[in-house]
Amino acid sequence: MTAPTAPPPQQRAAAAAPPGRTASGVMRRVWTSYAFRRILQSVFVIWLVSTITFLLMHFMPGDPIEIMAGRLNSAGMSHDQALATAANIVNYDPDASVWAQYLDFLKGLVTLDMGNSLTSPSKTVFDHVMEYLPWTLFAVGAGIVLATVIGLSIGMAAAYRRGSAFDHAMTSIGSFLTGVPNYILIAAVVVIGYTVLGILPFLDMRGRVTAGVEPGFDPVFFGDALYHAILPIIAFAFTATGSFLLNMKAATTEVLTEDYVTVARARGLKPGRISRSYVGRNAMLPVIPQVALQMGTLVGGSIVIEQILDYPGVGQMLMSAISDRDYPVVQAAVIILATSVVIASLIVDLVLVKIDPRIKTEGQDA
Amino acid sequence: MTEPILSVRDLSIAYRTGRKESVTAVSGIDLDLYEGQSLALVGESGCGKTTLGLGLLRLLPNLGEITSGSLTYRLKDGSTQDLLAMKKEQLRRFRWNEAAMVFQGAMNAFNPVIRIIDHFADTLRDHDCGDGKKWTKAAVEARAGELLETVRLDPDRVLQSYPHELSGGMKQRALIALAIALDPKVLVLDEPTTALDLLTQRSIVQQLHELRAKFGFTMVFITHDLGLAAELADRVATMYAGSIIETGSARDIFYTPKHPYTAGLINAVMPVKGDRPALESIPGFPPSLKAMPSGCAFHPRCEFATAACQGERVPLELLTERPQAMDHAVACLHHDRVRLDRKHNDSPKETSRV
Repeated sequence: MTAPTAPPPQQRAAAAAPPGRTASGVMRRVWTSYAFRRILQSVFVIWLVSTITFLLMHFMPGDPIEIMAGRLNSAGMSHDQALATAANIVNYDPDASVWAQYLDFLKGLVTLDMGNSLTSPSKTVFDHVMEYLPWTLFAVGAGIVLATVIGLSIGMAAAYRRGSAFDHAMTSIGSFLTGVPNYILIAAVVVIGYTVLGILPFLDMRGRVTAGVEPGFDPVFFGDALYHAILPIIAFAFTATGSFLLNMKAATTEVLTEDYVTVARARGLKPGRISRSYVGRNAMLPVIPQVALQMGTLVGGSIVIEQILDYPGVGQMLMSAISDRDYPVVQAAVIILATSVVIASLIVDLVLVKIDPRIKTEGQDA
Repeated sequence: MTEPILSVRDLSIAYRTGRKESVTAVSGIDLDLYEGQSLALVGESGCGKTTLGLGLLRLLPNLGEITSGSLTYRLKDGSTQDLLAMKKEQLRRFRWNEAAMVFQGAMNAFNPVIRIIDHFADTLRDHDCGDGKKWTKAAVEARAGELLETVRLDPDRVLQSYPHELSGGMKQRALIALAIALDPKVLVLDEPTTALDLLTQRSIVQQLHELRAKFGFTMVFITHDLGLAAELADRVATMYAGSIIETGSARDIFYTPKHPYTAGLINAVMPVKGDRPALESIPGFPPSLKAMPSGCAFHPRCEFATAACQGERVPLELLTERPQAMDHAVACLHHDRVRLDRKHNDSPKETSRV
């Protein structure tokens, strides 16, 4: 995605008043700030994804109103009555022009009103998605955190002990985890742990919570939710751990040969400080953007994982929405998934600016 | 005669090239350095100058290893210590406090993600010297500002900057300021002016002169720039293929070199004044560390070589005896036949840079 290039308003503002404490000076500083540009870019990406989704839905064969009407019709309603009821349920006017529908759709997007689910018409799409999304975000987020902690520390340790048995073992494990798809690995865990050894209570671990546990802010609920999410978390962590480990090892190996590390040793700094703020901080820089990339891959891959582990997250919801032809839900799910990935990468980029001062300057020079 | 501040005996350094193989990069170095002296290590690329410099602080990369010898320093408290016998923590405290190093290419000497002031803070705090004084933010700022002023940098501008916001010359100065932060007795400078433009080189050299006068540290600087050596050194040691082949006062080396290799180096420098003679280069190439010639390593390229040169390794022979290791010594069987080809009618200080 290309960044929006500096448009004329900036030049005009600069010409009208010199940058300083004037109102236009403040505007100019906001405009040129890296964070603002990066946010603008994210909004643009979300808009693009939404528009493409809208167009896909619009030009896809099979009119959702026809399908709903057909369903109502076969339930005993007259054809015209069924059409009218169906048109009432969807959030757009089927007779309006594409443009009017598109504007309506954008308005709905901004106000988070994306119509009602076709399968359960009493619920708005937003509420429907929100019932599933947090569970997936929780599992993916925990998986990523786990993978980051394990991957970065082992990768760094392997680079420090380059050529040792530990390094060889960890690098092999890393390659294995990256190479084999996570759904196969987690299937193997379930088959070996449950079917063969019988030590993994897989049947109890399915679902979100054990029957009878009430949602609420108490340790019982969180503990139970975590228990049920353990397998998805491990599944999500598999691939990410492997790739973080290998990347961190490569990055650390390179940083260890940098002059500033030799100089830091010559300066007699404490080994802990050298590995933290001289080696670790620099080696992390190329790995952090990978966290955002993995986030996208994992949320996308949740469809398969949640199906295998019977974890009712957004992936499962999407699957059933597609097979039910519940277009508004599919549309909203795709947009929300894309948005969450865009936001994750935005956060990662803003964090990166905090730890790598060079990025900021490049942005301002542009 | 006082004790030397650094005494190197029979130092050899090897690099591992395979599971059981290694090449010797530096062999059998004997060197005495006295307080306040300034020694230049000169030689071609790959002759082992930098390896020797790193070895002096035990800073060799992972594959490098000191295979024999001793490195005895006289510390600030007056005791003498063999660097090779030091434990990890002792070595850490020794570095930068007793002996600091300014590196080749200061471009990458600073951690790119932290500010210049943090480099000073890290150094000062990890050595907790200053009589148990806590290095608060303000104390660090005051000390670092003072140091930067001695190398003529503006503390207000530099302290809060990130390394990439400084020019090459500024970084080199900042690194020199950092090197003297703990008032070390010995300063090793590895090509301190390489990669800088002429004007910046000039002012760095000027700075080093001033700092030496002010703080009186002992200096070892590594260079292939004979002009710089002539300017900064009172002693010069020429290295070839991992050994010191000639050592003496700057005057001895530049006016009456006794090793054909040293003479060759000087002949290859263009004089600034007078006629411009055709420059003479030394024929052939430096030997590979893996296939070192027998006897004198220089014999395949030497015009004076005889059969005797190929036999035994030639030891340094003392030509003149002067106090404080200023003696002129050379490792050549035919040193009495070596003359400078052309008479330099200008002092070596005015020769141009290589």
